[in-house]
Amino acid sequence: MPDPLLKIENLCVSYGDHEVLQNVSLQIQRGQFACLIGPNGAGKSTLLKTIMGLVKASSGQITSHARQIGYVPQQLPLDPDLPLTVAEFLSLKLTRSRWWFGARRSLRERISAQLNEIGAAHLIDRRLGRLSGGEFQRILVAYALLNNPDLLLLDEPLTGVDIRGGLSFDGLLHHLHDHRHISILMVSHDLHLVEHLSDEVFCINRDLCCHGHPSEVLKPENLSKAYGHLQGMVVDQGGSAFIPVTSIR
Amino acid sequence: MMLPEFLQYPQMQRAFVIALIAGPIAGLLGTFVTLRRMSFFSDAISHAAMTGVALGFLLRLAHDMASPSMQVTLVIFCVLVALLMAWLFERTTLHTDTVIAFSYTGSVALGVVLISRLRGYRMLEEALFGDILASSPADVWIVAALGAVILGFLFLNMRALTLSVVQENLAKIEGINIRALNYGFVVLISAVVALLLRELGALLISGLIVVPAAAARVSAGNFRQMLILSACFGLVGTASGVTSSYYLDTPTGPTIVLADVVILTFCLVLARARRGKREHLQSPAGQSEAA
Repeated sequence: MPDPLLKIENLCVSYGDHEVLQNVSLQIQRGQFACLIGPNGAGKSTLLKTIMGLVKASSGQITSHARQIGYVPQQLPLDPDLPLTVAEFLSLKLTRSRWWFGARRSLRERISAQLNEIGAAHLIDRRLGRLSGGEFQRILVAYALLNNPDLLLLDEPLTGVDIRGGLSFDGLLHHLHDHRHISILMVSHDLHLVEHLSDEVFCINRDLCCHGHPSEVLKPENLSKAYGHLQGMVVDQGGSAFIPVTSIR
Repeated sequence: MMLPEFLQYPQMQRAFVIALIAGPIAGLLGTFVTLRRMSFFSDAISHAAMTGVALGFLLRLAHDMASPSMQVTLVIFCVLVALLMAWLFERTTLHTDTVIAFSYTGSVALGVVLISRLRGYRMLEEALFGDILASSPADVWIVAALGAVILGFLFLNMRALTLSVVQENLAKIEGINIRALNYGFVVLISAVVALLLRELGALLISGLIVVPAAAARVSAGNFRQMLILSACFGLVGTASGVTSSYYLDTPTGPTIVLADVVILTFCLVLARARRGKREHLQSPAGQSEAA
């Protein structure tokens, strides 16, 4: 069996006295579309941040064989009047020197091609702060793709995105996985999307509760291990997703 | 070449040169001060500088505001206060505005108490409002050196500063040391405040830093334009302020800040008119007119 693209062994992470991740071990294989699910505060975002080196692990090991890892953070609170355009933002990733002074003409072609691939070419001169949630999320994906990653980490990319935006984002992820052969690890609360897209699901709540194919993992008895006692499932707006509910009052 | 009337006097020449250097530099720095929401931070540092002035006199480190030892005392004091504030932001659960408020009021109170002990209310006026016309040739060199340091810092950290405005985590992933960048930035702001205190005074320095950048922000279509406009508005504000103060016989520091405020007002009116025109063109009435 080939080496996994990403191997996490007995990972523990604490914020002060609070242990957020406890002995988490998992592997991502090359070409896999994996999803991380779990309740709020389960440590999903922390796990991605630890992989990216943004949070320090207290113990454990992360071994990556990925050439490049792209990271799409959770929706950022942006100043709507920030005059940074999409082209300028993306040029920050492409500029290697410490000096930067806007999007150079020589970089625009590369930026334009990247935006074209994700269906956002029309946004090139738009201000970052004026984009809708879905548009901004696409730009963050474009930013992460600029260094040609073979592993993409996405942290709740559909938070604050409407149904239409969600569906088109779903198509974008399909494209990246199937055509560009990028392995993906995505945090999501949208179990419908998880079931539809992924071939491996990791369910965590501080530690790894269960993992496997979505058809095996997304069962009430497995989800209750992570989410606590499940009262049922609710279907959110328009039936685009179903969300586990731990208590209904 | 015949110099304009107001430049016939050496003190006006020096004031003008300082204004031409300080205006664009403060404007450029102001771009990141405003985008990082640190406008009140620069204000707090400038008010803390009053305590630095009082300490300089009280500890007999300096005999007057113009002495180099006073400049050194002020830089050291302002940098220490800035580092303390940055440390409190980073290491305590206190909100940013709370840290700024107590540093601001606390340092003003301490400064006034110390100055009252010295019975030097004339000093208080000088520290509050500054006197650019009293600048010496050495002050011109100090401001020029300061300008070179700020330009160097911005040149070396432009990409890091801009990326950190969007999100610090994205900057960290690019290998940028955010902690060093943040501390470096607050040290720079405090050095600017300390070294321009004598020219513009504690009450007005932050206007020189924040107002041109705010005007550029409402006028710019992209980030590069904001940087260019901040420097240009800073230059126009200080140059026109010094010139008008001569002809109107008004205090120079406040006239510079008033010139900046006029520029900001003009930019706000222009931006509003542009937005109104755009909304009109998008409305059904506007589209039928265009057709």
